[in-house]
Amino acid sequence: MIDFLGEVVSWFGDNWWGPTGIVWRSRQHFELSGAALITAAVLAMPPAAWLGHRGRGTGLVTALVNAGRAIPTFGIVALALPITIRIADVVPWMSSGIGFPAIYVALVALALPPLFIHTHTGILSVSTDVVEAATGLGMTPRQILQRIELPLAVPVIMTGIRVTAVQVVATAPLGALVAHNALGRFIIDGFAVRDSVRVFAGAVLVAAAALLTDAVFGAVERRLTPRTRSESATRRSGVRNTTAVG
Amino acid sequence: MIVGGTERPFFRWDWVGSHVGEILERVLEHLVLTGIAIGVGLIISALLAGLALRYRRTYGPITWLSAGLYAIPSLALFAFLVPITGFTMLTAQIGLVSYTLLILVRSIVTGIDGVDPAIREAAVGLGYSRRRLLLEVELPLAMPVILTGIRVTAVTTVGLVTITALIGRGGLGFFILRGLGRFFETEIIVGTVLSVALAAALDGLLVVVGRMVAPWTDRRSRVGA
Amino acid sequence: MEVAPMIRLEGVTKTFPGSETPAVDRLSLTIEEGETVVLVGPSGCGKTTTLKMINRLIEPTSGVIEVAGTDVTTEPAHELRRRIGYVIQQVGLLPHRTVAQNVATVPRLLGWEKTRIDARVDELVELVRLEPSIRDRYPAELSGGQQQRVGVARALAADPPVLLMDEPFGAVDPIVRANLQQELQVLQARLGKTIVLVTHDIDEAITLGDRIAVLNVGGILEQFDAPGEILARPANPFVESILGRDRGIKRLSLLPISGVALESGPVVMPGASAQDARRVMDRYGTDWFGVAEGERMLGWHWAADLTDSVVPATGARPFLARLRRGDSLRDALDVIVTSHTRAAPVFDGDRFLGMLTAETIAAELAR
Repeated sequence: MIDFLGEVVSWFGDNWWGPTGIVWRSRQHFELSGAALITAAVLAMPPAAWLGHRGRGTGLVTALVNAGRAIPTFGIVALALPITIRIADVVPWMSSGIGFPAIYVALVALALPPLFIHTHTGILSVSTDVVEAATGLGMTPRQILQRIELPLAVPVIMTGIRVTAVQVVATAPLGALVAHNALGRFIIDGFAVRDSVRVFAGAVLVAAAALLTDAVFGAVERRLTPRTRSESATRRSGVRNTTAVG
Repeated sequence: MIVGGTERPFFRWDWVGSHVGEILERVLEHLVLTGIAIGVGLIISALLAGLALRYRRTYGPITWLSAGLYAIPSLALFAFLVPITGFTMLTAQIGLVSYTLLILVRSIVTGIDGVDPAIREAAVGLGYSRRRLLLEVELPLAMPVILTGIRVTAVTTVGLVTITALIGRGGLGFFILRGLGRFFETEIIVGTVLSVALAAALDGLLVVVGRMVAPWTDRRSRVGA
Repeated sequence: MEVAPMIRLEGVTKTFPGSETPAVDRLSLTIEEGETVVLVGPSGCGKTTTLKMINRLIEPTSGVIEVAGTDVTTEPAHELRRRIGYVIQQVGLLPHRTVAQNVATVPRLLGWEKTRIDARVDELVELVRLEPSIRDRYPAELSGGQQQRVGVARALAADPPVLLMDEPFGAVDPIVRANLQQELQVLQARLGKTIVLVTHDIDEAITLGDRIAVLNVGGILEQFDAPGEILARPANPFVESILGRDRGIKRLSLLPISGVALESGPVVMPGASAQDARRVMDRYGTDWFGVAEGERMLGWHWAADLTDSVVPATGARPFLARLRRGDSLRDALDVIVTSHTRAAPVFDGDRFLGMLTAETIAAELAR
């Protein structure tokens, strides 16, 4: 056991640099995750905020919650490949569908539901009393959304962003299965050649990436959560610590 | 279905037709993997929950530990285990069971805590011993909450089983992996869709079980003084 | 020969961990078999704590508690509790069991056989005056009053000699509460249990208690006596304040009309002279008079009806309020005050027994 861990440590020493090294692949990993997260945020959050503001769409949210749990992430990643290949066949400026495009599409698809759910729930959970008071003061729906609901919903939305970010970072390793070279590559290649050291080291890297993301976004989340909002209110709105299952 | 100029159909029903046997085999394997994981998970969670309920101070650490396990990406967790326990059923099960703990322990503890204190006081006052109180009063009343936890666990576990294809098991994940390897969409779709169907079926089954186990929650009418 | 008390508390103290002052401080109390003792007092007086120490839901810090001559700590707590009935305010019926199953709880714990349990359940459902059809309903389908009756039936199922009740009627509305109190008294007359009941409502204590234990904060026993005694002679200002300013009137509700002397009142015989009528009206200070022939009450007339030299032969108005010997002086006072008379007739069935005057009641108040 100790020997094995020693081997892992020395592996780390040997594999930092170069095109197949830790640094390069980490960068790929976070670039991919960031791109997917931002895309999904842009696509999911505005409609979610608007629907939540209107008080509609709760049925959709429930459906998304159930779908999100039942649909295997592995399946989505795998399915993304043939789809992006076909798209690449048709679209001229895409050279091929494998690699980045496939895993990117899959991650965006995976990130949409949790971002939508948390944003919607966050806005919805802003007490109707407050909205009513604001309306009485003469604010337009748009102003209410911007100045009242969004700020009050920030804690829940931030939780959603954190949870989604962690999930994306945790699922990105599966990109190795569709020819993307991020941190998952170590694990998948390691499996293929039965290199336990590489597998273990890869696992450490992936886990570290996920925990790091959780920590960073968690700190931001805590910063943005105003003191006046009690912990129980966040819990009451139904969003719990559902971090990545990948 | 033909998309954009290529000759490859997206979904081939004839493949499904000719592989029914293999599909059923994998469905069974999937069910077995899920079943064992939930079964073992329940036992361990019950023990942990029992500990947490008896000695309150252990609840924090227990939650922290199971949440920690839950936070590790599934691929990484299996990857940690492979060097130790190899590409075996045991590896798969250790991983799968670890993910069930957080939700199950929380469900059990929350369920039992949620029993109305007045009911507990009346039952103890009547003369229920600690053991009979748990078995005849607290557990039955906590069942709805616990069962909801089992439902969520079942659905997530079905999804996780597919990833175990990477370490040699997989159930329906086997089709996803193989289809990916040979660029065969039909297999991927079959694997994914059946996995979702299985999860939905399990969920539905558990809802029915829930209603059988808690018949009193249906009757809500109020009659006169 | 001395009969052992049913419940005996001696020097019982309870100090909760983290608290400096004891919730109950060296309380000593004896409760005789068959009596209903009510523990009453303000918040923090330890009445509920004391009750719960009897069946060991709370363990005393020091002191001795005996039930039926045996120290309660000599057997496992859950076995002790199966021999003591326990009723709480929120009832606490098991929601996943039917009414019948709830009532059968203790017999089942004791291992009675099915036929015996079934018979007993039927007996109890009838005892608490519920419809037999309620057996198979679930608690969620019952009203508050019904639930509490089931609670009482459940407590009595194994026929325990002692019944502990913690604010049992606090959660129902006043009308239902009065009903349940009355039924408890009927039940008690039938069963003769030893009942210890906790309440913060002094009126309930007076209604239900054979003896009342007035407790002060810290479990200090201020007075322990029959309601009539406490009302007539409160031991100290604290007890007085618990009784309330209208304690005199409260006392009246305990005294039956049969305990005081009746008078003939402003009543004359039929055919009497108008002069006689005016004379009795003067004597009793009323502006009306009654006409009665021995035990047959014919009715009453206003003074203004005396137009002849003789009392009118017909047209007597019937008395609307009829008091009976078993009614309390409080009831009589209500009648007298609300009808602006100064005397009210008392009957035994249809037999007119005499008039009860406001003066008689006032005199009783002063005693």
